[in-house]
Amino acid sequence: MKDWLLPFLCGAATGVLSAWGVGGGTLLLLCMTLFLGVDQLTAQGINLLYFLPTAGVSLLFHRKNGYLDASVLKSAIPFGVVFAVGGALISSAIDLSFLRIPFGLFLLAAGSSMLMRRSKHG
Amino acid sequence: MKNTPEKISPPKGGETYKYRIAGALAGAVNGLFGGGGGMPLLVLLTRWAKLEEKTAFATCVAVIFPLCAVSAAVYLLRGGFPLVDALPYLAGGLVGGWLGGKWFQKVPDAALRRIFALFLLYGAYRYLVK
Repeated sequence: MKDWLLPFLCGAATGVLSAWGVGGGTLLLLCMTLFLGVDQLTAQGINLLYFLPTAGVSLLFHRKNGYLDASVLKSAIPFGVVFAVGGALISSAIDLSFLRIPFGLFLLAAGSSMLMRRSKHG
Repeated sequence: MKNTPEKISPPKGGETYKYRIAGALAGAVNGLFGGGGGMPLLVLLTRWAKLEEKTAFATCVAVIFPLCAVSAAVYLLRGGFPLVDALPYLAGGLVGGWLGGKWFQKVPDAALRRIFALFLLYGAYRYLVK
């Protein structure tokens, strides 16, 4: 029973964050690799699959509650899919480690400014 | 309903190119690094395209969903994937996603922003230090 109970509970807890779009997948990856003894590659595969039912069911609520912006979806998804496929092809052809520093700096700047930002909506 | 004032929101048509660029960047990051595209996507949608925060978080989930589906399909086609191992996580995710979707309206924007910011900083650590 323990074999599936802990993974189930981890999936459920991080699933709440995934539904909110705030990093549930990252947390699940950490849980799997640090605490549940799943190797990195398998964990990445599980993480990808896990997002589909998790996000899928949350999107039913988001749509019902009017939180999905149709014009963003129409514009962003086709471009996203094309660039994702292109990016994956490029990443298997050349070494991209030179991109890690600029992307890391972007995340650092965005994360710190978001943490410090106050909003009128609370 | 001619006299009802329009709800204040950014002009839709003029923002299309921003949505496209944000989507393209999310896809590129996902493809190049194998994930993480949601991070630049949310930042661009809220800070640059000025989308309302909660709408931006939910819409990000919807944009990442097809990208993830494509990656998962590629992963599965390559084979050797222990589907049985994934099942408890998927079942848990279904429950968590359902609860999260249900609770989303009640979560304060500031809480969403702070949790997200912590993951951005963790991402920064991963890319810069590790």
